[in-house]
Amino acid sequence: MRSPFRPDDVPDPAILDNHRPLIKSFERRGLIRRGLSLGALVMLTGCDVKRPEAVESALLAISRFNDEVQALLFDPNKLAPTYPASMILKPPKFNAYYDVMDVKPVNGATWRLELSGLIADRRPWTIQDLQALPQRTIVIKHICVEGWSYIGGWTGVPLRTFLQHVGADLRAKYVAFKTADDYPSSIDMASALHPQTLLATEYAGETLADPFGYPMRLRTAVKLGYKNPKWVTAIEVTNKYPGGYWESRGFSWFAGL
Amino acid sequence: MDKSGQSRGSPKEGAVRTRTLSLAASFIAVSCIAHAQSATPGGMPPPPGMNLAESAAMRFPQPVRVGDLLHRTVLQPVESQNVLGTVREVVRTGSGTIEIVIDFGGFLGFGTRPIAVPVDAMVLLGQDMEVVAFTPQQLRKFPTFSPTGTTPVPNDTIIKVGLAKPSH
Amino acid sequence: MSAAVTARGGRTGRRLHPLPVRIMHWINAVAMLIMITSGWGIYDDDVIIRGFHFAKFLRLGDWAAWSLNWHFAGMWLLAINGLIYLGYGVVTGRLRERLLPIRVSELLHTVRETLHFRLEHADITTYNAVQKLLYIIVILAGISQVVTGLAIWKPVQFSGLVSLLGGFQSARVLHFIGMAVIFGFLVLHVVLALLVPRTIWAMLAGGPVLARPGSRAKAPGP
Repeated sequence: MRSPFRPDDVPDPAILDNHRPLIKSFERRGLIRRGLSLGALVMLTGCDVKRPEAVESALLAISRFNDEVQALLFDPNKLAPTYPASMILKPPKFNAYYDVMDVKPVNGATWRLELSGLIADRRPWTIQDLQALPQRTIVIKHICVEGWSYIGGWTGVPLRTFLQHVGADLRAKYVAFKTADDYPSSIDMASALHPQTLLATEYAGETLADPFGYPMRLRTAVKLGYKNPKWVTAIEVTNKYPGGYWESRGFSWFAGL
Repeated sequence: MDKSGQSRGSPKEGAVRTRTLSLAASFIAVSCIAHAQSATPGGMPPPPGMNLAESAAMRFPQPVRVGDLLHRTVLQPVESQNVLGTVREVVRTGSGTIEIVIDFGGFLGFGTRPIAVPVDAMVLLGQDMEVVAFTPQQLRKFPTFSPTGTTPVPNDTIIKVGLAKPSH
Repeated sequence: MSAAVTARGGRTGRRLHPLPVRIMHWINAVAMLIMITSGWGIYDDDVIIRGFHFAKFLRLGDWAAWSLNWHFAGMWLLAINGLIYLGYGVVTGRLRERLLPIRVSELLHTVRETLHFRLEHADITTYNAVQKLLYIIVILAGISQVVTGLAIWKPVQFSGLVSLLGGFQSARVLHFIGMAVIFGFLVLHVVLALLVPRTIWAMLAGGPVLARPGSRAKAPGP
């Protein structure tokens, strides 16, 4: 089948010979990389780039406005519904921006949680250190932006307890996360201090399994699924907007439930 | 969007621009075809040289109670999440492999027939299951399940099943 | 057009569709199309009817993030315009005047006539019982979409509403059914409007002048 992209006027093949050195040097300068990223863009958009920049920036401006509205709607004392342990889905549902086969398990023995930003005590934490803090178990609904949901049971130290313990500036605006799978994420301080926001280390009473973020992941009942980074390696408290993986690709930042 | 910003980088030399464009166009054409293909099959046979068990092992098999698998909807791993059937029971074959007996096909639960699919060809997707290693066309050719030579696996047994992420 | 109608009406009177109604109608048309087609994009990320997804060319937004951004931008247009429309309709009495009362006998009569392809449409200034019912249904469906949409958007903040709707997934299904009702109305509405093109022109230019403001007496047919 004739490609719709093939130009009507095919250039004279002699041009190739005349410019061979130039083409060679061009190839060296990352033609494949560029071609691949174009291909990746096309995969993302499905063969036609049909989002004019003006429309895109208008939609993003409204999305930022909606983030403000969402923050106003957020009641820090409102608890998400909880469920009996018998309703926990075992194992939980897997999702990531890559396939499950590409999960890179983290070694819990050498894992450290690094701290930075507006935190008084920035010493790194081991998993045992985290588990020595008061723990909390919550059985809550995980709601994905895609529309699916399931009930999961999570145990860990409440992020509020942790932030208080390390002397974080609780008036700061953001709590940002870095992960082993290169999935930066961040949430607002009010949601970070919500009683149903945990640094989870267990699921359904068992150590978190590799594909679900072992040794530690964020689990908050007040945000959509994509605001729950797995394999967390660093926490930063900051007033500078940290963004996130999906947020930089168009998803709402606040993403509150 | 950083992704488009990255790919919009165009070569500085004007002379090569047209050729770059046609090259880029061919990349677009190729990736469109690849995209179209990857969206359709709903069956991903193990990579060459790898058997079902080896490919299932790459999907981080998780412990699950057999009783929790019963009645689960079995889906095709495609965007429209076509229903292939429902889990009827879990059996162990004479050779020791575990198979999931699915009430396969039919319409709205009527006119199904049981087929046995190796657990290594299936994955857990939240509250559902998916058949990843066989297409519906292949499953249609599966023989109707006969319990002879198999033993039912009790509900309280814990088996391991691989995972998948949602298809869309 | 305006002059002609005025001349026929004999004096400047209230139009069938006053300017605010026409503006709100077309804003609503745009908002509904944005909400429905972007909603299809969101739907496709996790289908509700297994085996059924909307073709890519029908979706607004090239992938889920942009469908969502369209949806959460369109919601303001739909909700604000809808609120003003309902407020206007209640304050001016237009809703009551145009949509009530519906009599069952009248309804059965119109259905019978419709089935015999004897639909009365010489006079576009009054709605028949089926029209009244359909408009009431679509207004209620629109309100329902805002409520179920709010439940899906903020299932923790409005957890009481969510449990009233039977849970998060049930709220999603209701939101989907609401879309189907509105879409079904839309198809019928457009088909009927195309069959009687005067109604489209009326929604653009205002339509005939009503005989006496506030009265339900029939205006002279164009």
